[in-house]
Amino acid sequence: MARKLLLDKANVSGITGFEVYRREGGYRSVEKALKMAPAEIVEEVKKSGLRGRGGAGFPTGMKWSFIAKPEGVPRHLVVNADESEPGTFKDRYLMEFIPHLLIEGMVVSSFALGSNVSYIYIRGEYAWIPDILEKAINEAKANGFLGKNILGTGFDCEIYVQRGAGAYICGEETALIESLEGKRGNPRIKPPFPAIKGLWERPTVVNNVETIAAVVPIINEGGEEYAKIGVGKSTGTKLISACGNINKPGVYEIDMTISVEDFIFSDEYCGGIPNGKKLKACIPGGSSVPILPANLLLTTAKGEKRLMNYESLSDGGFATGSMMGSGGFIVLDEDQCVVKNTMTLARFYHHESCGQCSPCREGTGWMERILKKIDSGKGDMKDIDLLWDIQRKIEGNTICPLGDAAAWPVAAAIRHFRDEFEWHVLNPEKCLTENFGLRHYADPIHVPVTA
Amino acid sequence: MADEIKKEPPANFKVTIDNITIEVTPGTTILNAARTIGGDVTPPAMCYYSKLQGSGGKCRTCLVEVAAGSTADPRPMPKLVASCRTTVMDGMIVKNITSDKVKDARAGVVEFLLLNHPLDCPICDQAGECHLQDLGYEHGKEGTRYEFKRRTFEKEDIGPYIQLHMTRCILCYRCTYVADQLTDKRVHGILDRGEHAEISTYISKAIDNDFSGNMIDVCPVGALTDKTFRFKNRVWFTKPVDAHRDCENPKCCGKTTLWLRGDEVFRVTARKDQWGEVQSYDGKPGWICNTCRFDKKKTTDWVTEGVTKINRHSVISQGKYEGLVMPKETIQEVLGGRSPRLLMDIHTESEVNKPTVHLSEINGPAHSDTFDEGK
Repeated sequence: MARKLLLDKANVSGITGFEVYRREGGYRSVEKALKMAPAEIVEEVKKSGLRGRGGAGFPTGMKWSFIAKPEGVPRHLVVNADESEPGTFKDRYLMEFIPHLLIEGMVVSSFALGSNVSYIYIRGEYAWIPDILEKAINEAKANGFLGKNILGTGFDCEIYVQRGAGAYICGEETALIESLEGKRGNPRIKPPFPAIKGLWERPTVVNNVETIAAVVPIINEGGEEYAKIGVGKSTGTKLISACGNINKPGVYEIDMTISVEDFIFSDEYCGGIPNGKKLKACIPGGSSVPILPANLLLTTAKGEKRLMNYESLSDGGFATGSMMGSGGFIVLDEDQCVVKNTMTLARFYHHESCGQCSPCREGTGWMERILKKIDSGKGDMKDIDLLWDIQRKIEGNTICPLGDAAAWPVAAAIRHFRDEFEWHVLNPEKCLTENFGLRHYADPIHVPVTA
Repeated sequence: MADEIKKEPPANFKVTIDNITIEVTPGTTILNAARTIGGDVTPPAMCYYSKLQGSGGKCRTCLVEVAAGSTADPRPMPKLVASCRTTVMDGMIVKNITSDKVKDARAGVVEFLLLNHPLDCPICDQAGECHLQDLGYEHGKEGTRYEFKRRTFEKEDIGPYIQLHMTRCILCYRCTYVADQLTDKRVHGILDRGEHAEISTYISKAIDNDFSGNMIDVCPVGALTDKTFRFKNRVWFTKPVDAHRDCENPKCCGKTTLWLRGDEVFRVTARKDQWGEVQSYDGKPGWICNTCRFDKKKTTDWVTEGVTKINRHSVISQGKYEGLVMPKETIQEVLGGRSPRLLMDIHTESEVNKPTVHLSEINGPAHSDTFDEGK
């Protein structure tokens, strides 16, 4: 049984309320942190090796140390709760069931960064959660852990919850900042980065909900202790929201030493695939990361067991690996059609592109139309190459990573499942009623023997 | 840190673009550095407009490869960068036309921009001075690989002066910057998102403002055109003449280009520089007011200065005015070296069209007097 740092108290009855949360040891980190110097807190977070849990996996301590500190200019902490990546719902779970953990982490982080006004930008579709968060904020305030002169230390901090209006792009940190300022949520052109000029041109740090929550155990136990959990540069615990064709979908906290195979098939986690079906493919880190066929998912191209952590999941680069991403673990069984799945994702990115820069605005719609054509049995062989060329011309040429996020799933689907695309083209009628099935996607991979 | 002794930064940064090294002041963007070199080395720009703050970065046509970041940190940049929004560093090495990656990406961007463009150039008033046409000719590929229905929009009337053709729009955002930075009150912006994003006034309001006409000048395509010039003439049939008047509006520079045919003023625009942007006078952009643009349509309203020098590589300059390139005479080749037999020399029969009179050298419109050598 792996150690839980974030969700160990999630099932305690009444934990959403301050009383129970405090009784269970909540807000200890605030008491401890406010006696430390802000720089010491940043140092602890650096030592912990905590990496951003939103998707990119950038070291949080380093991000914090980049924040500019010009004289007389306020700084801000913004929590990115615009969790819109298809397949990802870990932050929702955290905010809904232990809201005080986020508030506690925010108070500590705000103190470390010198933010007197911090924000939670929450996706509009999480309509019921702002109330939960605001209740927690009010309780924390009433008990002296938030507001003016926290615990008599002279540190003031206010937290505001801002609801988005339902745009995926507002999860991109600069688009989020624009939206928070009340503007159209278009990503900004970087540089300048938010750490220099963010919210209202002030130095800003934007962190994921889970990242900020993880600051609590880091302060309680110390950065070095936290770093002992996990493996290599994947320290601490990670929330995984598992969904798709599995027996037990849900949010799991793992310590990143577990293998992908165990995660899918053990009863502690996903509990295997229902109805005796076989595993065909998996998108291990939210819809934007490359899809992997069963064989490459469970073992790396070198023949090693693939683990649920940042390094192992990305082993082999995009050629044979994927990414940890945001932890949205989507499992596809043998009855699932990769072409249809890719089309669904392409439709999503087409719908969510902000339309600011040309490759993403025009390319996402084009990809969706071609995929729709192939899926409905009207495709041509040259369409597959065309898709490849379009994704190649979007990737890396856009203002924000949405272009990459739209290109990667298409690229990976063609890279690993080209046969399935070709089968759709060659069997225009059969593909409407039948499925390509598992075929060779779970076959053991040939590992070249090196001398 | 503050008490550290900082090395004096060099007064000028050395930057190498396509093997040409120049010195520019710190803070200059790669694009503007390339513009000082000029020619093919300058990346095309569809959305960047030096006179509009915050513009650029969106169209991605100006992407370049940075092969070395600076002398201090000579690592290459991992991705292509938008040259209009990336400032140069000392010792930076930039590859534009010498980079295959750039050429490939740029061809891709051109294809994307033309994907949903209606290509209705034959009926578009912008044809001949359209940046998208130029971009397509220079960096695009023949034919299209797009086989789906092109996106359309519901037509919207945005007032008596400006015609909006949303289907032609490439969403460069320049017009919204004009509205933000030049006019008193912005009444239009971008609605919706992605492919369906459109320029519009909210709840069909008319754009009515002293300086709103300038958004016609900044529009790189035919999305915003002059309603008073609509379908009146092709730009290459009109003669551009620089003119000025004492404008009552203090914010208006009163310096314009009149587009004439004979004595008739077909259109008034601001004067443009070689990059297709409004010219600056003493560092101030020469925007013009709507009165000058839409209401002063008589030559008597204006003091003409002379024929406009069009530096741009558009069809206007290929016409009868400046930079005329004569096609190769093939008739002798076809006739096996024999000259055609002249049946009649028009000039011996007619008093008009004197070959000694060059239209491009006349300041102002041509009159019958021009050809009357007896006077």
